[in-house]
Amino acid sequence: MPVEAIQTSKLSKDYGLGHGLFDLDLTVSPQEVFGFLGPNGAGKSTAIRCLMGMIRPTFGSAHIFGLDCLRDSVAVKRKVGYMPGDMPQFGSLRGREVVAYLGGLRGTIDPALVQKIAERFDLDLGRRFREYSSGNKKKLGIVLAFMHKPDLLILDEPTGGLDPLNQQEFYRLVNETREAGATIFLSSHILSEVEHVCDRVGIIRSGRLVKVAELDEIHRFHVHRMELEFAPGTEIPEAAIRSAAGVEDVVVEDSKVTCTVKGTFEPLLKALNGATVTNLASSEPSLEEVFLTYYRPDAPTEAIAR
Amino acid sequence: MTAIRLALRLGQWGLIGFAIVGFIATFINAVAFYAVAGHTPAEREAFARSFAQIASQLTVLLPPAMRLDTVGGYVQYRAYGSLAILFAIWALASASGAARGNEERGLVEVVVATGLSRVRVLAAHVAAFAIASFVAALAASAGLMVGAIAGQESFPIGPAIEAAVLLAAIAVSCYSLVLLVAQLVARIATGIAGAMLLALFLLNSLSRTFASLHTLRWLSPFRYYELSTPLPPGGNFDVTATLVLVGIAIVAGGLAALAFQKRDLGSALFALRASARPPTYEPSSAPVWRVPIVRDLYDRRIGLATWAVGVSAMAALFVVLTKTIVQPLLSIPGLAVYFAAILHGPIYQSFLSALWFGVAQLLVAGFAITQVGRWSAEDTDGRLELILSNPVSRTRVVIERALVLALGALIIAAVSGVAVGVESHYQSIDLDAGRLAEASLMLVPVTLVFAAFGALLAARLPRATVGILGTFAFASYLMLQLGPIFKLPEWVQDLSAFKLYGQPLIEGIDRTGLAIMVAIVLVGFWASAIVMQRRDVGA
Repeated sequence: MPVEAIQTSKLSKDYGLGHGLFDLDLTVSPQEVFGFLGPNGAGKSTAIRCLMGMIRPTFGSAHIFGLDCLRDSVAVKRKVGYMPGDMPQFGSLRGREVVAYLGGLRGTIDPALVQKIAERFDLDLGRRFREYSSGNKKKLGIVLAFMHKPDLLILDEPTGGLDPLNQQEFYRLVNETREAGATIFLSSHILSEVEHVCDRVGIIRSGRLVKVAELDEIHRFHVHRMELEFAPGTEIPEAAIRSAAGVEDVVVEDSKVTCTVKGTFEPLLKALNGATVTNLASSEPSLEEVFLTYYRPDAPTEAIAR
Repeated sequence: MTAIRLALRLGQWGLIGFAIVGFIATFINAVAFYAVAGHTPAEREAFARSFAQIASQLTVLLPPAMRLDTVGGYVQYRAYGSLAILFAIWALASASGAARGNEERGLVEVVVATGLSRVRVLAAHVAAFAIASFVAALAASAGLMVGAIAGQESFPIGPAIEAAVLLAAIAVSCYSLVLLVAQLVARIATGIAGAMLLALFLLNSLSRTFASLHTLRWLSPFRYYELSTPLPPGGNFDVTATLVLVGIAIVAGGLAALAFQKRDLGSALFALRASARPPTYEPSSAPVWRVPIVRDLYDRRIGLATWAVGVSAMAALFVVLTKTIVQPLLSIPGLAVYFAAILHGPIYQSFLSALWFGVAQLLVAGFAITQVGRWSAEDTDGRLELILSNPVSRTRVVIERALVLALGALIIAAVSGVAVGVESHYQSIDLDAGRLAEASLMLVPVTLVFAAFGALLAARLPRATVGILGTFAFASYLMLQLGPIFKLPEWVQDLSAFKLYGQPLIEGIDRTGLAIMVAIVLVGFWASAIVMQRRDVGA
C-alpha cells in the first residue's frame, strides 16, 4: 500500500480564545495537487507550520511520506521544498548568495534547475535582496522551494504579489512538477488559483477543516443564483419565498426577484404556488461564489460538510 | 501631535536606555568622586592637581577640565565629555533609523499616505528626538544630584538643568545633521553620517592640539558644546553657543525637509544610476557557501572585520594611554588605594591587565550580545524558519551558532592581542608573549559565557534578551572595576561574570575560572538546544 504524502490525525494547535487549528484529519496522496483554502487567520499557515515541524501541535500527529513531522523532521525536510508566506530579510546578500547559502545548508541543489527557474520568472539573482520588490521576493521563494526537486512541495500562499503573467508561469511550473512525480500542497485564499492547478481542495474555517472535495465536486454543489420575473399584476409570494428551505439573499425589486438557492429547487418552486413567472434564469456559480456562500462567518460549520 | 507621539513610541527604548545610561554615568562618577578625592579641601586640591595632569594628556579626546576639586567639575569632565559622544551615537542610530529604517519597512509610506506632509513628518521626528534627548539628559542631571546627596552634599538645580539643555542641544544638532545626510544618500547613509560625526568630533578635539585646525573648528557642533561648562563652580552656560546648536538643528532639519520633499521615497536625492549589466540567473558558485560555519562567518565578514579593527584600535590606544597616564594616576592618593586593590605585579603590565583586559571583556561581551540579538532577529523575521526548512536539526543550528561565535571571538581576540603586543613593543612595555596570548585567548570563553546565557534567554524571552544581557554585562563590569573602591563584599564581586577571567596577563590562566566558564558554556548551550527543540519557531 503506497504511503500517503501527507497524513494528519486530529492535528491541533490551540492558541486559546478559539484561535488555532483543531482536529485536522487530512490525507494527501502522492502526485496530487491539494489546495488548502481559507481566509486570513483561518489556520492555514498554522497547519503548514505544524507539517514543517516549526511549531509543536497541542494534540494529534502529522506524517509526511510516513515520517513523523516532529520526530523525523530532518528526514522529512530532505523530501520537502518549502515556501513560507512571507520571505525573511536577507539584507545585502544577493539573490545568488541566498540561493547558495540555503543550497549549502541542504547539501544538494541543481544549479541548472535554479538557472532554469530563475530564467522562467526573469528573476535577476545578481541583485541584492533588499532591492527586490515583493514580487521578486516571491520568485526567489519559488526558486528556493523547487531548486532541489523535492518529492513534496509545501507552499504557503505562493502567488501573492506575483503579476498575472508570472502567476500563469507558476501554474505551469506546478503542473510540470506534478507530472514529474511530485506532490504539491498549497494554501491560498484565492479560489481562481486552486481552480487552475488543484485536484482536490480542503476548506478551513476558524481552525477547522469543513470540507474536502474534488474540484468537480465543489463545482457540483447545488448553489445557484436565480432570477425570476413575474407577470405584471402577479402578487409575488415574497414571504413564502423567503421562508423556503435553502433560499437565501432574497431581493425583490418591482416584478423581479433574485435569490440564491442551495440544494434542490423544489422548495422554491413550491413557494411560487402557481404565481405566473414570465422569465426564470439560473446562473452557474463560480467557485468564488460557492465558497462565499458556504464560507460566510454566520454559516454553520456543518452546512458545508453536508 | 500624533506624529510626534508615534515617533516617541518608536524611540521609547532608546529614551529609556539612554536615560538609564545617563543617570548611571553621572551617579557613578559623583559617588566615585567622593570615594577617591578625599574629604578635606587640601585632599581635594591635591586630587585635582594630580587629575589635571591626566586630563592634560587626554585633551586630544576630551575638553579641558576645571575645578576637579568639586563634584560638579569632576562629573562635568568625567561624564559629560563621554555623554556627548554617547548621545551623538544615539542621534546617529535614531536618525538613520527614522530616515532609512522606517522607509525600508514601509512605515514612512503609510504615514505620508495619511495626508501628513513630508515636512511635518520630519519635523515630528526632530521634535520627538528633542523631547527624548532632553528627558534622558535630565536623567543624567538627576544622577549627579542623587550622587551628590549620597556624598552628603547638595547640588544646585540651575546648572543641572543647563547641562541637560546643553546635552540635548548637541544631540539634536547631530540628529538633524544625520537626517540631512540620510536624505542625500541611501544605502550607506549610516556609515557616511557616522564618518561625518566622527570627523566633526575629531576636528574640534584635535584643534585643541593642532593650531592649524583652529580656523575650521567653528564647523563642528562639538565646539559649541564645550564652550559651556555649567556644572563646576564658576562655570558658565554660553547661551549664544547653545543657540548655535539649536540653529544647526533647525537649518539642517530644514534642509533635510527640503531634500525629503524633492526625492522619491526609498531613494536618495543623489542616487547613482545602476550600471547596466546583464541579469544573472546562476547561483553563486563560491565554495564558502558550501562549508558549514565558514558560510556564516563569510556572511557576517564585514561586521566581524569592523569589530576586530575597532577592538584592536582601542587596545592600541589603551597601551599608549597606559604609558602616558599611569604615573600621574598613581600620584593621586585616592586612586592609589584603588590601584593597590586591583593591580598585582609590574606596574604597566598590571595596569594593562586590569584596565585594558577589563574593557576588552566588556567589548567581547558586547560582541556576544550583538550576535545573540541577531539570533533573536532571525527568529522573529522568519530567517530561522527558512533555515530549518532545510534538512538541519535545531541542535545543529545551536551548535553552529556557538562555533561561529567562538571563531568570531577568536579572530577579534587574536587581532587585538597582536595589536597590544605590537603597540607595547613600540611603547617599551615588556609583555610576556605567552601570557599575552593566554590573556587574549581567554576572551573567547568570556564571549561564549555571555552567548550561552543569551542563547538560553533568546529561546525563552527573545525580545528582552539584549536588554537583560547588556545590563548583566554592564553590571559585571562595574562590579569588577568599582567593587574594590567601594569595598563591596567578596561574594558580591564574585557575581561579576568577568571575575572568572582572572588576571591571565600577570598570573597566567585561572584554571578554576576557565573550568567554570567552560561548564557554563556547555550547560548553557545544552539547555538552549533542549529549549530550542521544544519551542515553536517564530513564537
